[in-house]
Amino acid sequence: MIPAPLRSARARLTILYSTLLFALAALVVGGLYLSLSLSLRDEPISQGAAIRATVPVNDGGEEVERTFVEAASFERRVNEHTLRNLRRFSVGALTGLFLISLAVGWVIAGRVLAPIARITAVAQEIQASELSRRIGLLGPDDELRRLADTFDSMLARLDEAFASQRRFVADASHELRTPLAIIQANLELALSEAAPSDASRAEAAVVIERALRRMTRLTDDLLALARLESPEIARETFPAHVLLEESRTEFASAAAAREIELESVAPAELELHGDREALRRALANLLDNALRYAPEGSRVTLSAASAGAGASITVADEGPGLDDMDRNRVFDRFWRADGSRDRNGGGSGLGLAIVKRIAEAHGGSVAVRSQPGAGATFAIELPLAKPEPRAA
Amino acid sequence: MRVLVVEDERDLADAIARGLRREGYAVDVSHAGDDALVKASAYPYDLVCLDLNLPGLDGREVCRRIRAQERRDGEAQPRILMLTARGGLNDRVEGLDDGADDYLVKPFELSELAARARALLRRPGEPANGQLRVGELELDPARHIATVGSTPLSLTPKEFSLLRYFMLRPGDALSEFELLTHVWDENANPLTRTVRVTVMTLRRKLAAAIAGAEQPIQTVPGVGYRLRADV
Repeated sequence: MIPAPLRSARARLTILYSTLLFALAALVVGGLYLSLSLSLRDEPISQGAAIRATVPVNDGGEEVERTFVEAASFERRVNEHTLRNLRRFSVGALTGLFLISLAVGWVIAGRVLAPIARITAVAQEIQASELSRRIGLLGPDDELRRLADTFDSMLARLDEAFASQRRFVADASHELRTPLAIIQANLELALSEAAPSDASRAEAAVVIERALRRMTRLTDDLLALARLESPEIARETFPAHVLLEESRTEFASAAAAREIELESVAPAELELHGDREALRRALANLLDNALRYAPEGSRVTLSAASAGAGASITVADEGPGLDDMDRNRVFDRFWRADGSRDRNGGGSGLGLAIVKRIAEAHGGSVAVRSQPGAGATFAIELPLAKPEPRAA
Repeated sequence: MRVLVVEDERDLADAIARGLRREGYAVDVSHAGDDALVKASAYPYDLVCLDLNLPGLDGREVCRRIRAQERRDGEAQPRILMLTARGGLNDRVEGLDDGADDYLVKPFELSELAARARALLRRPGEPANGQLRVGELELDPARHIATVGSTPLSLTPKEFSLLRYFMLRPGDALSEFELLTHVWDENANPLTRTVRVTVMTLRRKLAAAIAGAEQPIQTVPGVGYRLRADV
C-alpha cells in the first residue's frame, strides 16, 4: 500500500528522478573513489625513493647494512587519511545532491504536470448539463496540449449530441402537448356541462379519440426512431419485387379509397440486401405520404431499379410537389408541409425522418426530386450487398 | 366582449371557442395567421387568443402586426393572450416582447384560460373576480349568474353577454353597431334585427324580475341604448 502523499504522480516523478540522479552520482563518485583508492594502494611512490641509508650497526663488531622505509608507512597513512576525507565528502555531497534533486524534481514535475491539474479541474467542474465549457489549454503543441484538445473536441461532440437530444425531446414534447391540450379542453367541456347531451358527449369522444390516435402514432414513431439509433440492423437478401408487391398490397385499399392508381415496378432479378422489416416500414412511410398528398385519380408509382453499384427504390406521386425551401426541410423531424396542416388527418411529422434513418442505417441515403406542381419522387439508394461475414 | 381565437388545430380551436362562449364571450375562430390579421382589422376584438405556432404567418408575426394595426374610432387595442406548446423562458420572454399581454402553455385548463381572459379584460376599479354590480343588478361571469335584487335572472348566453357589456359601461349610450361588434361574433348578420330583438327579450326578463320598478335599459333616441347607472 502506497502512502497517500506518495500516490501523486508529482511525488513519484520527484522520487524517481532524485533516486536515479542519486544512483548515477553515486556510481560516478563510487567509481572515482574506487579507482583513486586502488591507485593509492599500489606501491607507495616513496618506495622507489626509499631512503636507503646504511647505518652501521654494531653487531658483534660486524657491520650490517639495513634499509629503512619509514617514509612509506607515513605516506600510507596520509593516503588513508585522504581517502577517508574523500569518502566523507562524497557522502555529504551525494546527500546534498539528493536533497537538491528532490527539490528541483518537485518543482519540475509540478511544472510539467500543471496542465493535467488544469484539465482535471475543468473536467471536474463540467457537469453533464453544462457541456459548453472547454479546457482551452494554451502553450506549445505538445502531448498535454493534444490531450486537452482531444478532450475539448470530445466535449464538443458530446455537447452537440446532448443538444440534439434536448431539441428532440423538446420537439417531441411540443408535439405531444397539442393533442394533450385537445383532450384536456374537451374533457373539461364535457365534464362541466350540467346536463350533457348525448350528441355533445359523442362529439367530445370523437375528438378525444382522434387526439389519442395521434398521440399513439407519435409515440410509435418516436420509439421506431429510438430503436433505429442502435447500430445493428438485420441483413438478409431478398428479391426487390416481393417487397414492393407487399407494400403495394398493404396500401391497395387506402389508394382505392381515394381512387389513386398504385402500381409497383421492379425487375424480377433485382435483389435487395438489408433489414426487410425496416425497408418495408420506410416504403410504408413514403407511400403514406404520397397517398396523403396525391390528388384523387392520380397515379402513385413504386419502383425499384439497380442504380450504379447498388439499388434504388423510388416512390413517385403526382401531388402538389415541394419548392426549394421545403425540399431542404422535408427530412427534418416534425416538419410538415404547410397547407397539409390538418394534422389530425396527418402523420406524426416523423415519417420521413424515419425513412432517412433507415436508409442511413443501411449505409444508403434518401433524396427527393420535386418541382412545385409537378409531383414528388422520393428515392432510397441502397449500396450493393456486402459479402456476408463468414461464420467461424 | 369579443374574442378572436387563432389556432391551427381545429379540435383545440373549437374547444377553446366553446369554453369561452360559455363564459359569455362572442368568439370568432381563425385557423391561419393571415386570416387572423384580416379579422383583427375588420372587428374590434377585446381579446385575441393567439397560438404561437401557425402555418404561414407565425404567431409572433401576427402578434406584431396586430399591435401595428390602427384601430378605428379610438377603439382600444385588443389584449393578446399567447398560447403555445413551448414553455421555455426564451419563448415566453420573446412572446411578451412581441406585444403579448400574457402567456399560457399547452396543455392548459379551460378554466385557467377563462380566468386569464377575465384578468386581461378587467378594467381599473373592477373587482378581481370579474363580478359586476350596477345598483340592484349583479352579474358573476365565472359562474354565469345574473341577479337583480335577490331574484335570479334566467338568461340565454347572448342575453347574458349583452347584460354584461351594458354593466361594463353603465350610463354610456351604446349604439346597436357597437353592441353588434362587441357582443356578437362574425356569424351575426348585421342586416337582421338581432341586437334589437335580444335587447327586447333582455328588457322583458329584467322587467319581470324587478316587478314594476323602472326599466334599467333605456332607449336613447337616435343613438341606441343605455343602462341606467342608478338602477
